[in-house]
Order: sequence, then C-alpha cells, then structure tokens
Amino acid sequence: MARPVGLLYAVDDAVPAGMLVLSALQHIGVIATTLFYPLILAREAGFDPHATLNFMSLCMLTLAVGTALLCVRSKFVGSGYLCPAGYTQIYLGPCLFALQNGGLAVMFGMTVVAGFLQTALAPALRRLRPLLPSEIAGLVTAIIGLSIATLGMRYVLGIQGHREIRADSVVIAVIALATMIVLNIWTKGLTKLFCAMIGMLFGCAASAVLGQLDLSIVASSAGEALMRVPVVQFVGWKFDAALLAPFAMVAVASTLQTLGNVSTAQRINDADWLRPSFRSLSGGVAANGIASMFGGMVGTPGVNVYTACVGLSSATGITSRRVGYAISVILLVLATVPVAAGVFLAVPYPVIGALQLFLGAFVLTSGLQMITARMLDSRRTIVIGLSFAIAVTADIYRDAFATLPPVLQPVFGNSLVLGTTCAVLLNLIMRIGVRKRESLNLEPGPLDREAVEEFLSEQGGRWAARREVVSRATFGLVQVLEVIGSRPGGVEIEASFDEFSLDIRVRHAGAPLALPEHRPSTREIVASEEGERLLAGYLLRRSADRISSRAAGERAETQLHYDH
Amino acid sequence: MVESALKVAETRSGQVCIVAVSGRIDSTNANDLLTRLNTLLSSGEKILLVDFKEVLYLTSAAFRVLLVATDEAERNAARFVLCSVLGQVRDLFEMGGLLDAFTILGSREEAVAKLGLA
Repeated sequence: MARPVGLLYAVDDAVPAGMLVLSALQHIGVIATTLFYPLILAREAGFDPHATLNFMSLCMLTLAVGTALLCVRSKFVGSGYLCPAGYTQIYLGPCLFALQNGGLAVMFGMTVVAGFLQTALAPALRRLRPLLPSEIAGLVTAIIGLSIATLGMRYVLGIQGHREIRADSVVIAVIALATMIVLNIWTKGLTKLFCAMIGMLFGCAASAVLGQLDLSIVASSAGEALMRVPVVQFVGWKFDAALLAPFAMVAVASTLQTLGNVSTAQRINDADWLRPSFRSLSGGVAANGIASMFGGMVGTPGVNVYTACVGLSSATGITSRRVGYAISVILLVLATVPVAAGVFLAVPYPVIGALQLFLGAFVLTSGLQMITARMLDSRRTIVIGLSFAIAVTADIYRDAFATLPPVLQPVFGNSLVLGTTCAVLLNLIMRIGVRKRESLNLEPGPLDREAVEEFLSEQGGRWAARREVVSRATFGLVQVLEVIGSRPGGVEIEASFDEFSLDIRVRHAGAPLALPEHRPSTREIVASEEGERLLAGYLLRRSADRISSRAAGERAETQLHYDH
Repeated sequence: MVESALKVAETRSGQVCIVAVSGRIDSTNANDLLTRLNTLLSSGEKILLVDFKEVLYLTSAAFRVLLVATDEAERNAARFVLCSVLGQVRDLFEMGGLLDAFTILGSREEAVAKLGLA
C-alpha cells in the first residue's frame, strides 16, 4: 500500500483534536443535506412539525449508528475506511411507493427486509466477485456522481417544481460554488480543508441578503425542549410480498453503491490500488445492511455510504477513520437537540445544489478513474458504455418510464438502479466464453517438474495471469504431484482461467489426498513419509484459496482454486 | 529468468560454513541437499548457515529435509541456521507454521556477523 501524494491524514492516522472536530462538522454539513430525502417522506406521511422534528432526530440517530458501523474496522462488520452514512435516493422511490400503498408500517418493515437482504449478501461477496467487478463499482460511482451533480444543477437553477430558472437561486449557488472552488484550488491550510463548509456559510449569508433564508422550521423547534431523547413514534412493521422485488433491488443497488464508495475510499488511500480488498467491502456491505435494519426498526428510511463524503475526503485529503467516529458522536448529540434538525433543514436549496455540484465533480471523476484503471476490452466496453447510456435515459425519459408496471418502477425510475442492473446483467451475459482451458497428461514415472512448470508458465503468460498467482499455483501443482507420486494410468491436469480465478484439476489413480486442518508435529514430519504427506496436505490447504480432493469413480480428483 | 534446477554452493566466512541454495527444492532433489548437509555436519562443521536468497520455492519434502538436518546438527552439537528467507519462500514457512521450527536470521551478512561473534 503506497501513500498517495496530497493525502494529509491516511485512514489509520491520528488527527489533532481541533482538526478532527472541524472536519467532522464539515462532513455533517454535507450529510445533513441528505435529510432532504426523509423530509420528503415526512411530508408525504403528513407529520406535524413536532413529529417532523422528532423524525429528523431519529434520522440523525440512524446516521450516527450507521457511520460508526461503516467506519469501524473489525472482522465481520465495517469497511475500516472513512465512509460516513447518508440518506439516499435509492430508498426514496420504493419508500414513497410503500408509504402510499401500505403506510408507515409497510415502509419501515420493508426497509428492515432490504437491510437484512443486504447483510445476507455481504458474506457471499467474494463468490459474487465475477459478477461485481471493479469497473462496475466504478460505473456505480460515476452514475452517483452524475446523479448528485444533476440534482445539484436543478437546485442551482431553482427549477424545482416549476420550469423557469430563478436568477436569485443562481446567484446564491454561484457565490457558494465559487467560494468552494477558489478555496479548494487556490488556497492552502484550513481554508482548503474546510472549503465546503465555508462555501455553504457564504451561500447561506447570500440567501439571507436575498431573502431566501427560510427559518420557519427553526422557529417551529423553539417550543421544543433544548435537549430530549427522540422517541420511536410510529411503532409497527409490516411485510408486503408485493414489495419484495423493489426492496430486493434496493438492497442490490445499495450494495453496489457501497462497493463503489468503499473501493473509492481504498483507492484514495493507496497509490498502488489495483483491485478492492474484499474483507473491507464485505464489512462495509454488512455494516450498511445492519444500519438500514436499525433505521427500519426505529422508524427511519435506510441509509447508504454517502458518496459525497467520500468525495469530500478526496478533495480535502483527510481520510482518517477517526473522523468517522467523531461524526458519529456529534450526530448522536445532535439527535437529542431539536433545534439542530431545524437548522439543517433550513439550508437553502441553491446552497445544497452548489455543494452537490462541487462534490459530484469529485465523485464522477473518481468513478471514471476506477473504470479506466481496468483494461477495457470489447466485452467491458459494451458492459460499461451501454449501461452508462441506459442509466442516463432513466432521467431523460422519466415520464415514459412512469407508465411501466409498479414492480418495475424502482428499476426504471432511478438512473443508478437502472444502470447498475444493466451492468450486472450485461456482465453476466458477457462472461459466456470467457473461461479458457488447457490440459496436460503426464505419463507414469518420476515427477517431471520442468514440464509442469513450463505448462503453467506458458499458459499463465498466454492468459495474462498475474505472475504471483501463477507462482502459487505452480507450487500447489508440484506439491500435489509430489504427494501423488507415480501412478498407473498417469495423471491428467486441467488448468482453466478467467480474470477472476485460476483453477487446476488433477485426476489420478488411488485415494484422494489427505488435507488436514492442523499441521503434523515436527516429530511426525521427521519420523515418516506419512508425516511429510500430511505436511504437504496442510501446506496445500493453506496456500490455495480453495482446495478439495475426492474420489471420482476409480480415480481421485483434486481441485485447486486461486483467486485472481 | 532464474534457473530452476537446484544448485548448492559452499563458501566459508570464519567459523561459518555458508551453504547457498538456489532453484526449487522438492522431492526430486531434496535428498541431494540432505546428503550435502549431512556430509558437512559429519565432517565437523559446527556452524552451518543455509542461504535461501535464490530459492524459488520448496515443498514438504524440502521442509522434512531441513527438519532432519536440524536434528542431525543437534546430535553433532552444531548450529543449523537459515538466512535470507524472503518472499514466497517465507510465505511457505509461515503457511506451514514452521518459522519457529528453525533458527532464521536476516540477510547473509547479518547472519554471518551474528554467528561469527557467537
């Protein structure tokens, strides 16, 4: 792992206390803009101001729990990177549909289901790796960047709800955006680090001058206690089988978005990044699923790693995981302060738009870099190019897609879900004929190591397999042949390869290989050849990513699998 | 390209007899290595340093030979030490849980300096 130039605080670095708090506050300023999504649901549900503020506080509680879970580094849960949680447009469409057709209980119940499905996907990610390659994660990131920027542009132009461009919106947004860009590009130190927060403050000031700062929601919180514990106000969870498909797609899209974001966070921290670390990805997806389940349980929508925050960490060079913990603690405190929810909701739309446009630029280019980091052959070009084009049509032909059956709405009504669904399906189709196979038959007799090495080395070169993987496979094959020894009928070897795995199958006469889980003692190894064979089996088990040996008719078959 | 056939070369640095091994060590040549090591030990060498810098990989047969040589050295009141155990070879020692079964020092120079003082 090589530290990239320009990274101020890497993922494991300690951050000075003042910088830690300011950086966390800046992220919270960015995350708070996503409270807009649950606010839409609150208005749709007809909450009164008191219930709305309590709902927003619960949303902050979910964000606090989600951020801590996503950032923590542990064996099963957490990405280990600075990946704060935010609300997402992925949940919005299906949640609105559930709310309108079944009420709050169905919306929260199905959110728990989506979170559960996502959590269940996490342990299977490594096996699903061929279906979710890093260029698709890059595509997801790029589409998210485009979606953020597109939505941002709508707010910048002030065309929400009506079609004409509002000059005051544009002026406010230009002031906020210009501040962010100037501070980020032409200044150093604190102003560069906190460009987004300062830009938002300038935007809010401009809004106040132009009479666009609506503080009525803040005023409505004046009657509330200064601090209080938010209460779970709408208890009840219902399952609706008809909504399983849309919420399953939510789980898949959310997983892909997490994969893209965690991969980006890994890449920001490693100049030599080539492919994602799956332990971190699985932990991130599990954390995201659990966070969404928690959200559904306390009565909020599901969350996702917030792409704009990952973009912000790239823009500022502060990527320490500890910032995530600070965000979580501050959000936890803010969840008990009703006026905080009011202040966040008072940020004017043009300011949110400027922020989304600024961060969308970083997210979009990060996604494009992930795509182009891979060699794009014809198959990948079709998968990525076609999916990207189709994703864009979801926004262009929104009205036409709105006439499709309800079960298809969550897919076709959202560019991210449509693009990723296309990419996953096309990638699946394009895998036909990708796997290459070659075989080698060894006659009975002493081990011809050179022939075996030459076979794997030549095929590895032809298949452009990584040298390190071929080297491990060569050891494994020689070790298997050493244990088998000379067998009547010789030995059949078959090597097969696609870009994700190198598999070797060895068929021979006799019994399957012993593959013990525990190493024989050094005494046993020295004492007999049986001890040496057990050591061989133990080494094979440890060196291959997967291994099995079983009887196949009158012969035995040993299979070695190496991830690529 | 590194030559894959096993080669064994002996040099001396003071009291330390250095055995530089290169290539692959497996069942086809492990006994040749054992014979060389046993010959050196029975000829009265008291400090045997096996340099693994040029070893590409080793199989279970090689590990057995090294364990047998370790026992033989003990019987002869000699020291049997490995050095420059790097990369994939070190990974194999680690996978086999055998790093602790041998005395392993860093580079040849470090090992000679340490053993020369002992």
